[in-house]
Amino acid sequence: MAEKRIVLSKCGSIDPQDIGTYIAKGGFSAFIKARDKMKPQAIIAEVKKSGLTGRGGAGFNTGLKWELARNAKAKAKYLLCNADEGEVGTFKDKYILSNDPFGLIEGMCIAGLAIGAQQAFIYLRNEYHFLYDPLVRAVGQVREKGYLKHMDIQVFEGAGAYICGEESALMNSIEGMRGESRYKPPYPPTRGLWGLPTIINNVETLMNVPHIINNGAAWFSAIGTGRSKGTKVFSVSGDVSRPGVYELEMGSTLRELVVGLAGADDLKAVQIGGATGNILPASMLNTPLSHETYLGSGAVVALNSGRDIIDVVQNDMHFLNDESCGKCTPCREGTEVMLEIFGRLARGEGHEGDINSLDALARTMAVSSLCGLGQAAAVPVLDSLRYFYNDYIDRINQSHFLRSYLSGELFKSEEGIR
Amino acid sequence: MGNVNVNIDGRKIRVREGSTILEAATANGITIPTLCHIKGQVPSGVCRVCVVEVEGSKTMMGACHTPVAEGMVIHSKSPKVIAVRKVIVELLLTAHTGDCVNDSNAENCALHNLASDYEVGAPHFNVRNPRFYPAEESNPYVKRDMSKCILCRKCVKVCGEVVRKDVLSIGYRGFKSKVVSGFDEALTAEACRDCLKCIEHCPTGALSAPARV
Ligand SMILES: Cc1cc2nc3c(=O)[nH]c(=O)nc-3n(C[C@H](O)[C@H](O)[C@H](O)COP(=O)(O)O)c2cc1C
Ligand code: SF4
Ligand code: SF4
Ligand code: FES
Repeated sequence: MAEKRIVLSKCGSIDPQDIGTYIAKGGFSAFIKARDKMKPQAIIAEVKKSGLTGRGGAGFNTGLKWELARNAKAKAKYLLCNADEGEVGTFKDKYILSNDPFGLIEGMCIAGLAIGAQQAFIYLRNEYHFLYDPLVRAVGQVREKGYLKHMDIQVFEGAGAYICGEESALMNSIEGMRGESRYKPPYPPTRGLWGLPTIINNVETLMNVPHIINNGAAWFSAIGTGRSKGTKVFSVSGDVSRPGVYELEMGSTLRELVVGLAGADDLKAVQIGGATGNILPASMLNTPLSHETYLGSGAVVALNSGRDIIDVVQNDMHFLNDESCGKCTPCREGTEVMLEIFGRLARGEGHEGDINSLDALARTMAVSSLCGLGQAAAVPVLDSLRYFYNDYIDRINQSHFLRSYLSGELFKSEEGIR
Repeated sequence: MGNVNVNIDGRKIRVREGSTILEAATANGITIPTLCHIKGQVPSGVCRVCVVEVEGSKTMMGACHTPVAEGMVIHSKSPKVIAVRKVIVELLLTAHTGDCVNDSNAENCALHNLASDYEVGAPHFNVRNPRFYPAEESNPYVKRDMSKCILCRKCVKVCGEVVRKDVLSIGYRGFKSKVVSGFDEALTAEACRDCLKCIEHCPTGALSAPARV
């Protein structure tokens, strides 16, 4: 039940404002190896063979993605680091950026060599403004050491929108347009920022790269499960006694993480992956965490028996409705209708049709929304209907009772008995 | 560019590589509904009524913007597709306000026509605050009744990409999105001249020519 620290291995043991302490721990040896001894194709082959997958949610093979961008013919290519971290309950990237910015920058330097990018951006969420200056200073120190001769890195601040963590909306945001998603294909590796091939990776994904270059693909792929290699950094919050950031081997169980490490007690359910995440009952605590099962961004919120699941889903929906960019019909209108239904269920104004409406809306949004926000907004709704169906029935029965009580029918029938 | 083979609704079709599913279907007499697409323009992909099933894909694909690929198997009228389109049409009707909602002779409205094609009756969804805006007649050429707007963005597209005036844009976000002029100001005669292209493309009664006095 121990943690396995690869991504977080230097966190806490280096000074995030002094590149010397990072180099003293072996930092930038992977970059020097990649720069002096490896061809771009060899870097990509190694990352591909390692089985490294995206840690931002979708879990796509990182090496495969890089290869697409490498092979695309264009006058310029871009590398973007997604540090928007807007998913509810996710705070691992903040921990990484605060404690080991050089690890990320080294990963970006290597990715830049691999895909042939001359310009990179770190898209930093607006709420992490306090990290802006430290990051800029860290990039400056790397530049002074001469490790950024092939590519420049600019820190770009977002404006506080969850949707701008979605890769195409993020690119729109950098281009100075509305933060809205684009349809795919074309995918960013072929046509991304300003129409040019672009690689966009999560902070944690890039953090893994130096370790893979140093220790080899075989070492990395020996860790984890069939399709999920390496470790995952989790952000655990909610009803636990030790909330925080934990790094575990892929395939570790929910129980190890939430009960063993974070100290949850009296659990009713957990939500994995933020507001668009799966909601699983405590009976499923033995589920392993991996791309094959449940993972998302690695946000795990523990809910104890005092929590009402429908309140939780209503809260998720409130967030998603607020953050919907409004571009496509199913998400723009669907989240609003769902919010109305949850509001009625909360006020005791529900009726039987509500369950069918929620189900039909969720299924429609999941398959027809333009981007991942609308598609995944259905997940907590469908999961709560699946695992906590009786909670909905209770709410509807309570609504019936309230209505009949308020309309005085109870009185009437009592009088009838007398 | 060469040709590719695809299968739409059981029919084998050969089309030019790079065409969209919508183009491939239309060229072969298969109709797929659209509300936001303008032929010949870069697709918007916002209304989602054109979604189709593509075998091997977890989600449905927008026919107006998804290019065909060799061997693609597409279902444009499967029960699942029809069910999804019905919900989308019902959602578009839900957020509406204005007399047209109960108007049986709204046959000039593409949304109403689609609703009758798909046998969608009065919506049974509700929203907390349906979009309601007073009708604007500040402009001598264009009357704007944004309560009837379905946010298809065709007007924004023609105004910007076709006539290159860029008078209209999308303001606000999410459910509160609205087609605005400037920072949501009245559409003045100085800003908007009389090209009337937006009226021509608006699928609903949101944009119309003011009655002549
Ligand atoms: C609504 C939405 C929000 C997202 N937010 C983030 C985010 O904050 N950080 C992130 O890394 N990926 C986020 N993603 C996933 C990105 O679109 C993209 O898949 C990811 O950055 C790719 O990097 P990876 O392959 O390294 O995971 C989001 C996706 C959606 C649909
Ligand atoms: S799914 Fe939601 S967030 Fe994504 S494009 Fe549609 S409206 Fe915008
Ligand atoms: S005003 Fe008409 S054309 Fe413009 S977005 Fe609304 S419905 Fe579409
Ligand atoms: S016609 Fe394809 S999304 Fe509107």
